[in-house]
Amino acid sequence: MTPAEGAGPARKPTRKPRSRLDLPGSRSLRLQLLSWVVVPLIGLVAVNLWTSSRSAFATANLVTDRVLLGSARTIAEQVTMTEGVLDATVPPAAIEMFDTGDRDSVYYRVETAEGRLLTGYPDLPIPPEQAKAGTEAVYRDRMLRLRSYSHPIFGAGKDSPIRVTVGVTLSGRDALERHLWVSSFAQQVALVVIAGILVLIGLRRGLAPLLKLRDAVRSRGKADLAPIDVPEAQTEIRPLIDALNAYMDRVRAQMAAQRRFVANAAHQLRTPLALLSTQAAYAQREIGADARGEALAAIQASTRRLARLAEQLLTLSRAEPGSRRPRADRIDLADACREVLERLAPIAVDRGIDLGLEAEDGVGVVGDATMLKEMIANLVDNALRYGRPGGSVAVEVCARKEMAVLTVTDDGPGIPEAEREHVFERFYRISETGAEGSGIGLAIVREVADNAGGKIVLSDGVSGGLCVEVSLPLAAG
Amino acid sequence: MRLLLVEDNRDLADWLARTLRQANYVVDVVHDGEDAEHALAVGEHALVILDLALPKLGGLDVLKRLRARGNSVPVIVLTANASLDNRVRGLNAGADDYLAKPFEIEELEARIRAQIRRASNRTEPVASCGDLSFDSNTRLFKLGEDVLALTPREHAVLEQLFIKAGHTVSKGALSSAVYDFETDADPSAIEIYVHRVRKKLEGARVRIVTLRGLGYLLKAEA
Repeated sequence: MTPAEGAGPARKPTRKPRSRLDLPGSRSLRLQLLSWVVVPLIGLVAVNLWTSSRSAFATANLVTDRVLLGSARTIAEQVTMTEGVLDATVPPAAIEMFDTGDRDSVYYRVETAEGRLLTGYPDLPIPPEQAKAGTEAVYRDRMLRLRSYSHPIFGAGKDSPIRVTVGVTLSGRDALERHLWVSSFAQQVALVVIAGILVLIGLRRGLAPLLKLRDAVRSRGKADLAPIDVPEAQTEIRPLIDALNAYMDRVRAQMAAQRRFVANAAHQLRTPLALLSTQAAYAQREIGADARGEALAAIQASTRRLARLAEQLLTLSRAEPGSRRPRADRIDLADACREVLERLAPIAVDRGIDLGLEAEDGVGVVGDATMLKEMIANLVDNALRYGRPGGSVAVEVCARKEMAVLTVTDDGPGIPEAEREHVFERFYRISETGAEGSGIGLAIVREVADNAGGKIVLSDGVSGGLCVEVSLPLAAG
Repeated sequence: MRLLLVEDNRDLADWLARTLRQANYVVDVVHDGEDAEHALAVGEHALVILDLALPKLGGLDVLKRLRARGNSVPVIVLTANASLDNRVRGLNAGADDYLAKPFEIEELEARIRAQIRRASNRTEPVASCGDLSFDSNTRLFKLGEDVLALTPREHAVLEQLFIKAGHTVSKGALSSAVYDFETDADPSAIEIYVHRVRKKLEGARVRIVTLRGLGYLLKAEA
């Protein structure tokens, strides 16, 4: 029996399309377990058959020897002394003993101790004196099994004991051996087959919870992330189910966060859109060219703000853990600041703000370069937006102990102590400011700093504004 | 017709007010819940447009307090969060109508008119006094078939008198309908506006009667 016959597709437990569990091949658990049981069993049976063939051979020989001996005895006992002459008459029973239907030929030879032939075939080979069992020899081109028996004859003098040698061809013995071996073979094959069937039944029952788990997972709706329960699962399968459920929990949390984010983002776009629509309606109804021009300029400004909001939302979603492949760029903080400040300089000029950078060179940090620059841009942009028009914004970069420290200080109204812990929350806006912030900038800053293993501290600036200090682990070397 | 607009986004508040003023409404604008409370306690507004996400005091609280004081001024709630839950809460707190951002200004105006119509128990959009008629949809006065050209202040004066046609309107009531919070109310200027409107109504079968010491009254002539 080959394994392929043992667990073929015909034994599929369900009518559903094949899955990995059903595939005939090395990935099938059932096939593996079955082969672990059946292959060694077949090996054992082979060894067993070999030994049993040996023992069948020995048994057949033994039986033949006994019959030979019995036949010899019967012949010997019929030898009598009649009037001083040895008379050997072979009784038919002695020959008929061998009649097993195998058409064996029987040969005999009865002779005196001195070797005088009394009856039988004079050229029949004689086994050696000391032979305890039958011996085999070729006689008339056929293999014979031979046995001799010495029998004392009372009163025969020098002729006693007589020796009777009986030989028989091997068909009967071979038939007996075959018979013994075949019945043993049949038993053992039956044993393997029964064991295989039992293993299959056991496996089917044992694997049922696993298959049920598979069906439970497969039959799920796309959005169904509720925990799976297979009550009859064994203790070995439980951890798998638990792990699966834990994984789905994580996915569910991630999806909920994503949904919240999208809802928040959509919410965040509603007011600017209402503004845009109002401005457009106003412009449409206004007849005066000046008022119209003013409205159109306002529409342009609103559009720009909306674009920036959309950009920030995108940045924030990119800054979320898991949304970008983690990167470990080594960036020079001073270079990054210079690049960002150059980009934002026009805003500073517009608002008459003195934007300055004071940076130590060679302050390196490791992280996602794009996101780190985005973080710096948001910090500086915030400072420019909320700072006092005509005031100043200072950006500083230095290495302190094992940390790279980036400080952005403005001289605007600052953030009240009580609100400082909230400003990093998404979409949070400080109540007092008139400026139209999106409430996303600092959330981006925190997300990026967190991802890079840094931390943020808010404090009062020297001249009353806000001072944001971001510390990031210093890059080695 | 004087409205109170409570909206914390200054740009949106500013542009909404401008657009409503285009339609001859007198609009007061406040940006937070506390200011809204004060405005509602002092001013006499025909309708309130209320954003729910307000600093200091939430729009829902403003609304609840307003209703607790027994003030039944129509309130249209304006909000970015228009979930079912939120709408139900707003309406339960005493809002008369609900509008989700972003909205079309036409819809807001239509809802304002509907609320004012209901508050004044009128069903027809067009009302008349003598040969003077007012279409609350177009917010225009007509004499016969001709549109009466009025400045915003003149419009406010005439509208107030028109609403109370046949009844005396005190000078104080008239000025509170005409001036928003930003303007220093000058009671003597009311007389000027009344005078101008009166001139524009010359020859019509309706006139403004002065009741010395009491106020004014719009009266249809036979």
